Amino acid sequence: MIRLIDLTKTYRGFTAVDGIHLEVPRGRLFGFLGPNGAGKTTTIRMMAGILKPTRGRIELDGIDLAEHPSEAKSRVGFIPDRPFIYEKLTGMEFLRFMGGLYRIDHGVSPEDRALELLELFELSDWRDELIESYSHGMKQRLVMCSALLPAPPILVVDEPMVGLDPKAARLVKDIFRDQAASGTTVFMSTHSLEVAQEVCEEIAIIQSGRIIARGTPEQLGQQAGVDGTLESVFLKITQERMSIP
Amino acid sequence: MRDLALLLSPRIMGVVNEMRGSATGARKRRWILGGVGIAFWAAMFLVSARVLRYFQSVEVIGDVLAHHLLSMILLTFFSLLIFSHIITALSNLYLSKDLELCHATPASLEELFLSRVLYTIVDSSWMVLVFGLPVLMAYAWVYEPGPVFYLTLAHSGVAMVLIAAGIGILFTMVLVNVFPAHRTRDILMLLVILMVVALYLLFRFLRPERLVDPDAFFSAVQYMSALKAPDSPYLPTHWVTEVLWRHLGGAPTPYYGFHMVLLWSTALALLVINVWIAEAIYFSGYSRSQEAKRRRAGGAFFLGLLRRVFAAPLGRDLAAVADKDIRTFFRDNSQWSQLILLGALVVVYLYNFSVLPLERSPIRLEFLQNQIAFLNLGLAGFVLSAISVRFIFPAVSAEGRAFWILQSAPMSMRRFLWGKLAVYAVPMLVLGEILVVFTNRLLQVTPFMMTLLAATMFLSVFGIVAMGVGLGALYPKFRYENIAQVSTGFGGLIYMMVSSLFMAAVILLEAAPVYVIFMADARGETVPLVHWLWIVPAFGLVLALQAFAVIKPMRMGARALSENDRP
Repeated sequence: MIRLIDLTKTYRGFTAVDGIHLEVPRGRLFGFLGPNGAGKTTTIRMMAGILKPTRGRIELDGIDLAEHPSEAKSRVGFIPDRPFIYEKLTGMEFLRFMGGLYRIDHGVSPEDRALELLELFELSDWRDELIESYSHGMKQRLVMCSALLPAPPILVVDEPMVGLDPKAARLVKDIFRDQAASGTTVFMSTHSLEVAQEVCEEIAIIQSGRIIARGTPEQLGQQAGVDGTLESVFLKITQERMSIP
Repeated sequence: MRDLALLLSPRIMGVVNEMRGSATGARKRRWILGGVGIAFWAAMFLVSARVLRYFQSVEVIGDVLAHHLLSMILLTFFSLLIFSHIITALSNLYLSKDLELCHATPASLEELFLSRVLYTIVDSSWMVLVFGLPVLMAYAWVYEPGPVFYLTLAHSGVAMVLIAAGIGILFTMVLVNVFPAHRTRDILMLLVILMVVALYLLFRFLRPERLVDPDAFFSAVQYMSALKAPDSPYLPTHWVTEVLWRHLGGAPTPYYGFHMVLLWSTALALLVINVWIAEAIYFSGYSRSQEAKRRRAGGAFFLGLLRRVFAAPLGRDLAAVADKDIRTFFRDNSQWSQLILLGALVVVYLYNFSVLPLERSPIRLEFLQNQIAFLNLGLAGFVLSAISVRFIFPAVSAEGRAFWILQSAPMSMRRFLWGKLAVYAVPMLVLGEILVVFTNRLLQVTPFMMTLLAATMFLSVFGIVAMGVGLGALYPKFRYENIAQVSTGFGGLIYMMVSSLFMAAVILLEAAPVYVIFMADARGETVPLVHWLWIVPAFGLVLALQAFAVIKPMRMGARALSENDRP
C-alpha cells in the first residue's frame, strides 16, 4: 500500500508538488497522469527516495520513508524514465549488483531469479555483454528486471513504455497486470493515455502539482461529463482546470 | 562551397552568441582567463628572450645553440600538433553528437569532411599560438629580423599546421577503419600514457642534474653532441627552421626557395590526399562507429580475485558496490591506464631518494637523513592527496547519472560513503607505506623515526581518503563528459587545499616532540619527564586531528548526499 500525506515539494520558490494526498491500496495498478511539468516525475522521485519532500509524508507498505528510509526502500522496485545504468557492467553483473544492494535472500536464489527475469525480458543472449552495447530499449528492460529482482510489494514506474518496441511494450503491460494480480501495488506515471486506459484500474490526474481528478477511467468520464476515450476526458479535465483563473 | 559555409556557421554563430549574450559570471571568468593567458604569454616571451640573449652573448656556440633550440622547439610543436590533430579528429570526424544530423542532410560528403577538418585544425592549433608565438616573437625581439620574417613565419606556420593536420587526420581515418572509433580512442589514450611514462622515465634516468656539473663532460664538442636535436632534411620542421633561420641572421642558403616550395607543396598535397582518402573511407568509418558492437567483459578471474580481497568483509550491499566499482574502473581504459603513470611516479619518487647527494652536505649526515625523512612525510602526503584528487575525490561523482540506483536503494548514504572509504583506504595505505618505508630505508633512518613515520602515514591515509570521499560527496558532479573534469573543478581545488593543510598541521604538531626525542636518542640520553608533559598532548592532538579529518568530512558528505535537492 502507498500513502502520500500532504506531499509537497518546492524548488527555489516554485511549488512542483502541492500538498498531494493519495492512498493506493495493495494489488492496485494505479495510473498517474498529467501534462508536461505537472509534477509527476517529482512525485515519483520523492516516492523512490531520491528527492526529499519539503513537507508531508510518504508511507510505503506501512513504513514511513523519512523515518525508516532503508526499510521502506527495500519494499520498492523503482523504474525511472531514463535508464541510466553502469555501462561497464554486463547485464548479469548488474543484476548481481542489484541483488547485493537489496540483500535478496528469499525464495529462489538471486542468481536463478536473475536468469529467469533475463529470460522473461528476452535478454538472456546479452547477459554477458557490457551494457554499453545495449540499445535504449534493452537497457530499459534490464532496469525492469532489476526492479522486479527483489520481488518488491510496490513498483514505482516512471514512463515505462519510452523506447520499447511494441512486443516489449505488450510484455511490460502483461507483467504489470500479473504483478498487480499477485498483490504488488504498481504506481505508474505515463504520458500514454492509451496505456493508462488499457491497463490501469484507477487513475489520478495531476496538474500544477495538485491532484485534480481521481477514479476509474469510467468514473473520470462521468466527472468530466464526457462519454469517450480517456484522451478526451484528460483533455477536458486539464483544460477546464487551466481556464479557472 | 555553399554547404561548407553553412556547415561551419553553427560553430561561428555559437562563438558569436556566447560572446554577445553571456552572463556576468561567465564574462568575468573570461576576463580572468584572458588575464592569466596574457600573463603566461608575457612570461614565456620574457624567459625565452632572456635565454636567447644569453645564447647571443656566448661566443662561437651561442648562435648554434639558438639554431638548435629553434629546431627542437619546432619539432616538439610539430609532434604535439600531429598528436593533437589525431585526438581532435577522432572527436570531430567520428564521435561528435551533431554528426548524425550533418550526415542526414543533403550536404556533400567532401564538404562535410572539409568542415570537420577546419574544426579540427582550429581546435588543435590554438595551442601553437599560445605556446609557440611568444617563443618565436622572442627570437624576433633578440635577432631583430626584417618584416619579411613575420610574413614567412605566418605562412610557413600555416603550412606546418596543415601538414600536421594532414598526417593526423589521415592516420585517424585509417585507424578508425581498422578499429571502431571508441576503441581507437582507448588505444590512443593508452599510447599517450605509455609515451608520457617512457619520456618521463627516460628524462629522469638521464639525470639532467649532471648538466650543471662541469666534471660530467670533457669537452664542448661532447656537450654540443649531447644537446643535438634529432633532425633530418626530410622533416617539414627542418624546412621551416632553415627558412626562418635565414631571416634571423643565418648564412644565405641556396635551398631557401626549395624549402619553401617543399613546405607548401607537401601541405597542399596532403590536403588533396586527405580528401581523396576521405571519399573512399570516411563514411564507412563513421558508419562503423555508429554500429552497436557486442562487447564481452574480460578479466573475470582478476576481477573476482580483487572482489574477494576488497569486498568480502564489507557486507553484501557494500560488497556489491565495491565489486561494481572495481569492475567499472578496470574496464574503463582511461581510468586504469593512469595507474601506469602512478607506477612511474612512484619509481621516480624512490629513485630521487636513492641519488640524493647527501654525502656532500655540510650538515651532519645522521641528522640530515632523519630531517629529510621527516619532511618526506609531507611530500608523500602531498603525493597521496594528488592521487586522491584524481581517483578518490571523483568516486561519488563517478556514479554519474546512475546515482538514482543508490539513492533509491535500501542503503544509507552514510554507509555508502564509509564503504567507499574502506575500499579506497587499502590501496592508499599500501602506497603511503611504500613511499615512507622505502625512502626511510634508503635514507637509513633510526628505528624510532621509521616507526613514527610509518605510523603517522598509516593514520594520515585515513584522513586523506576520508576528505577525498567526503568532499567529493559535498561537491558532486554527476553530469560530466569526462570524469577527469570532476577533479579539476572548485571542489577538487578545495580538497587539495584542505588535504595539504591537514598534512602540514600533522607535521607541525609532530616536529617539536620528534626533534626532542630524536636528539635525546642521538645523544644516548633519556627524554626528561618535564618534556613528556607537552610531548604526550602534542601526539594526542595529532590523533585528535586525524580522527577529525576522518569523521567531519564523511558526515558533511553523507548529509549533503542525503539532502540532495536537485530536481
